[in-house]
Amino acid sequence: MNCEQIAELLPDYLRGNLPAGQIRAVEQHIEQCAECRDDVAIWNKLAILPAGQPSALLGERFEALLHAYEAGREDGRAAAGASSAKQERAPARGQFDWFRSPLAGLAWGLAMLVVGVLAGTFASRTSPRTDELAAMRTELTGMRQLVVLSMLQQQSASERLQGVSFSRAEAQADPKIIGALLHTLRYDPNVDVRLAALEALSRQSSQAQVRRGVTDALQYQQSPLVQVALIDQLVEWRDPGARDRLRELQQSADLNPAVRQRAEWALSKLN
Amino acid sequence: MLQVRNGDGEMLGVLFDRYHAPLFHLYSRITGDRGSSEDLVQEVFLKILRYRQSYQPGTPFRPWLYQIARNARIDALRRTRKEVSFEPEMVKPVAPTDSAQQEQETSLLHRALMQLPEEKREILMLARFQEMKYEEIAALLGCELNTVKTRVHRALRELRETFRRLEQGIGAQGLRPGATDLLPGRQGQ
Repeated sequence: MNCEQIAELLPDYLRGNLPAGQIRAVEQHIEQCAECRDDVAIWNKLAILPAGQPSALLGERFEALLHAYEAGREDGRAAAGASSAKQERAPARGQFDWFRSPLAGLAWGLAMLVVGVLAGTFASRTSPRTDELAAMRTELTGMRQLVVLSMLQQQSASERLQGVSFSRAEAQADPKIIGALLHTLRYDPNVDVRLAALEALSRQSSQAQVRRGVTDALQYQQSPLVQVALIDQLVEWRDPGARDRLRELQQSADLNPAVRQRAEWALSKLN
Repeated sequence: MLQVRNGDGEMLGVLFDRYHAPLFHLYSRITGDRGSSEDLVQEVFLKILRYRQSYQPGTPFRPWLYQIARNARIDALRRTRKEVSFEPEMVKPVAPTDSAQQEQETSLLHRALMQLPEEKREILMLARFQEMKYEEIAALLGCELNTVKTRVHRALRELRETFRRLEQGIGAQGLRPGATDLLPGRQGQ
């Protein structure tokens, strides 16, 4: 291979994405070619670059921002609740009302203090603007949902597990969360994550969507562990629709004997 | 210190805890400036609040976040209309070195990186440090997968050449006291 051909492979080689045959080809080439060898060397050398850590001030600025936002939301809710009573006295009050409350004022003051100090230090840089903070008041009503949904998309199984864990915080989960958990139960590649999703869904059994989704998930499972957990859940719910699914499962030619036995037991319970 | 204990704010705090350091690292490596990197991180979380409605449930969160992060940086660049220069305001690389040679190498590498055009620095840092797949980088930059790989390779080659030039400059300085380290590209080869 010449340098041009290696150049096409090198980015994947550097990330460890090449099959063994091509790795050998690249390595044979770089043994003989100083230029390409140096490309690899400089990539590896980048590891010595320290990234540095953000200062504590960044966290403080974020908290000031967040607090200003939260205070705005709380005040906005209170204002909405009392709006009819206050309408006559303050007919012209608008979306910037929340800035006038003492709590919001304190938060805003602190936020601006931090921003002001920073603005003095870094004159040309960005800072939260009034209109942006005001806009936040009407936004961000489902951050928990955002977090759960995003965490369930993470590549790391432990993060997805954490996402499932967060979803349990709601006594009555949002339909989008339920949908995401059902999707996780069906398609997540990690058995532990699927089991955790089932456990989270079992707390939402009052919702028909959950029972139907869990029942349907049985046909998608290949792991005996999850199959048994699903069967147990169906027995616990005593859902009449589960019988047909269990019979279908029993007919699977390559069913694990332990699962088959469990399905038989479940059917005897449900009949 | 204000505390956020419950509700959505708490969850935004989780996102902050998880992503502020990787974003800061990315920004500081691209801009070489600690202060503006922190500003940019702050701006990203402000934009998350503002534009959260544009997040499509069921789609991966990280690409959405990095798109916001990239736009924040582009906006900031537009405002300042200049590249951050390497010299006095740079984040001084403080490597945990055990030798003067490694310290010098780190410094040279840092300087070489800062001499790359920003778009090359960006793609190299995304590929090297952000654990993003090339496909994700392609989506972020709005280009083809093969284009990303080609750009990564070109950026790497330019970095290597710049680093070598700086190394030679240091060597030449040793031989000729008072010489600048900005030697012409291939001099002395």
